[in-house]
Amino acid sequence: MATLFKQKDEAQIVPSGSYSQLEMMVVAASRLLKNGEVALVGTGLPLVGAFLAKHTHAPEIIIVMEAVAFDSKPFSLPFCVADPRGVYQTTWAPTSVEIMGQLLQSGRVDTGFLGGAQVDKYGNLNSTCIGPYLSPKKRFEGSGGACDIAVMAQKTIITMAHEKQRFVNQVDYITSPGWKCRDHRTKEMVDRSKLGMWGGPFAVVSTMGIMKFDEDSHEMYVDYYFSELGVTPQLIRENSGFDIDVSRAKAYAPPAVNELEVLRTIVDPEGIFMKY
Amino acid sequence: MSNSKLMSLTEAVSLIKDGCSLFTGGWTVVRKPMGIVYELIRQGRKNLALVSNPGGPEIDLLIGAGCVNLTECNYIGHEVFGHPYCFRRKVEEGPEVTGYYHDDWTVQTGSLRILAGAMGLPFMPTFSLKGSDLINPDLDPVKDLRGKDPRLPKSKVAFIKDPFWEGHEVTLVPALRPDVCVIHAQEVGDKGTVRIKGGAFLDYYAAMASKLTIVTAERVVSEESLQNTPEANTIPGYLVHGIVELPYGAHPTAVSGFYDNDPYWFRSYTVASKNEINFQAWLREWVFELGNFENYLNKVGLKRLMSLRANPVLGYNPNIRRRLDKLEEEM
Repeated sequence: MATLFKQKDEAQIVPSGSYSQLEMMVVAASRLLKNGEVALVGTGLPLVGAFLAKHTHAPEIIIVMEAVAFDSKPFSLPFCVADPRGVYQTTWAPTSVEIMGQLLQSGRVDTGFLGGAQVDKYGNLNSTCIGPYLSPKKRFEGSGGACDIAVMAQKTIITMAHEKQRFVNQVDYITSPGWKCRDHRTKEMVDRSKLGMWGGPFAVVSTMGIMKFDEDSHEMYVDYYFSELGVTPQLIRENSGFDIDVSRAKAYAPPAVNELEVLRTIVDPEGIFMKY
Repeated sequence: MSNSKLMSLTEAVSLIKDGCSLFTGGWTVVRKPMGIVYELIRQGRKNLALVSNPGGPEIDLLIGAGCVNLTECNYIGHEVFGHPYCFRRKVEEGPEVTGYYHDDWTVQTGSLRILAGAMGLPFMPTFSLKGSDLINPDLDPVKDLRGKDPRLPKSKVAFIKDPFWEGHEVTLVPALRPDVCVIHAQEVGDKGTVRIKGGAFLDYYAAMASKLTIVTAERVVSEESLQNTPEANTIPGYLVHGIVELPYGAHPTAVSGFYDNDPYWFRSYTVASKNEINFQAWLREWVFELGNFENYLNKVGLKRLMSLRANPVLGYNPNIRRRLDKLEEEM
């Protein structure tokens, strides 16, 4: 079985039942981050996943937060992207004009790390509202920097709980564009390359597995499923609001002992985002 | 001294008029000018247009208190502490019912808009927004107000072909030109020089873009003490019109080097703001009946205020609990 993360010692693999789906999701997302790359992360689980990567396999990753912090290496988990915890011992504390208007726009961000309320088969993300935008059933906080990151990072990684009402055929509002998104002139859905955009979603990491996007159709497919948690490709199909290809699905390696230990004792010991 | 910029909180807030556009400094739950916000509510200010990018509890409070009829923000919320229920409720009720309109932006475009304002330019180009519904012309929530409300640009965005290099289509976003900018800082000189630590966010650009800037600060210091290291200063005093010494003036948000977020406040506020009746009761108890900021701090209490004090080296308080459902538990 292919794994994205080299186990130091096979005996160190933790038994199923001793970790949660949320922990598996964060561990899997953190493994997708590469050592040395520039990662622009949003508040919440992306922040947790990025700091887990920094404390495990990617110590040289440069974590950037849109409000103020470049190469953040906090002692304590920031609870938002402007938290003094993220600024402490950072090497550069600019503003969002420099981070979002310059670093991101000039193509220097390798990976953007995002969450949201809904995702569709093309990786469009909604973090704005449920229901029609002009008369919403439920209104959320809004884009923040998510739209900017989805448009201008070299690639994005999305984390989301795997539920039918979240993995939808069409998002209620495109906050953050994916592979096939809105042409503002025709209002039709077109390939992002037709709009002159680079980047695009690389993976969606859910509580059930890792989804990727087909190179030709740009539709979401299941790459890995969290078999140790009892997830099957069929279960992912049942919990997705659109027809999702599972023909390429592989079983995924569970968390290693050190990953869970770092997550629980160093990255988020209070369970601020992990809610232990 | 007649030309002094030092004034009381009441005087400073009286400079902010009904119907003006207002930029609140800081970032979500960090360094928000809360003392000013409570006083705006007490003075019954109406029809404000808020353009903070991004907004935190100060925006949710002002919306809930009925002081606002327009927001142009990329985010309104309390981060990990809970949802912005007043904002949510008013948007869900709709502008026909509430008279309140909201337009969505992004961190990058909100930043470029205030930068354009600071530069005296009418707009700024961006590669952002493409492919999203933020520029879907069918989904402009303030379409009917454009051309009528002078605080709003005549259209949300425009497009231009790059005339100089590759010829790609570029999106133009309009400048933000706030009437007033209100900032809470760690230190301000007695002539207005502002020194912000732990991240200035957009506060410098907003002061430059605004017609009038008011600064509340943890402490007012002599200008001479700020002259030894001018590179550590954020905003020249020339841009600042009013100064208020207001310790804990950003409570319950965090001020690097002074105090951390107050999780007890956020718990009480997010529980109360979930419905209109409880929110109004919260406003009476925490804003109207107290009458002024001093009484507010007395009500929060010395014990709690001291428990939030930041470690001066770290900038934050390493001992506060941050999970609202477990505040009473030992660390």
